[in-house]
Amino acid sequence: MIIVNTESIPGLRIRQMIGLVQGNTIRAKHLGRDIAAGLKNIVGGELKGYTELLTEARRQAVERMIAQAQQLGANGVVNVRFSTSAITQGAAELYVYGTAVIVEPEQAGVQEANHVS
Amino acid sequence: MLASAQGNSLINLLDFSIPAFLIILAFITGRYIERRHFRNLAQREQQLSDMIISDVKTFPNGAQPHKKAELVMGQVVIATDYLKTFLAGLKKIFGGELKSYETLMERARREALLRMQEDARSRGYNAVCNVRLSFADIGGMSGTKGSVMVEIFAFGTAYCRLDA
Repeated sequence: MIIVNTESIPGLRIRQMIGLVQGNTIRAKHLGRDIAAGLKNIVGGELKGYTELLTEARRQAVERMIAQAQQLGANGVVNVRFSTSAITQGAAELYVYGTAVIVEPEQAGVQEANHVS
Repeated sequence: MLASAQGNSLINLLDFSIPAFLIILAFITGRYIERRHFRNLAQREQQLSDMIISDVKTFPNGAQPHKKAELVMGQVVIATDYLKTFLAGLKKIFGGELKSYETLMERARREALLRMQEDARSRGYNAVCNVRLSFADIGGMSGTKGSVMVEIFAFGTAYCRLDA
């Protein structure tokens, strides 16, 4: 599975566009991290707990998108975008979407032609 | 009567002394953490100076076809210290530039971009294109009880340059 946020993939040709695939997850922060974050607000600095929480959440959203793409028979997702929305106080939705595609290796002849142009 | 008056004065003293203590603590730790972070950022940027990052949708300098491009990400959640929140609160009465928050945003952006580049480097790439930076306002994270936190998320497509 190839995931990129560009419209093309180097070395590969998009044979077929399948359509939009998406993945989302909604996460709430928990109390222990909140207390640690409250302390960090006094001294300043990175909130590692929240960074980990969001990294994990984004990874899960991407995995869900990949699962959907695989179900549709795709072997790549192009033009991936991320968005975040605040649902309620203390919870966030992480949303990722892209276009599922079927890609194949570029033929040597086609590649040469591209290179010349 | 006397005891309650003393009790009141003690509470008054605490009312003033706790914020004062927090401001002094923040003055020391906030400056230390920020300076250390800026030094750390400069050092890591130096190490990654051969990496080319751009926000165009094509692949600058050409991409090697045999190494597949891949999505890379970097993110950071960062908080200001109590002193800066306090100073910014004062400044907000008069309006104008909030310098103390500018450094916060700068640190967050540079850190997120660096993490994205380090992600790309660790997977064996030497360039990132179509970089997008997004600012996420996580529910309830900013604006409540004077706590200021920002999340910056950077992502892009990593690839191998032809000229490297």
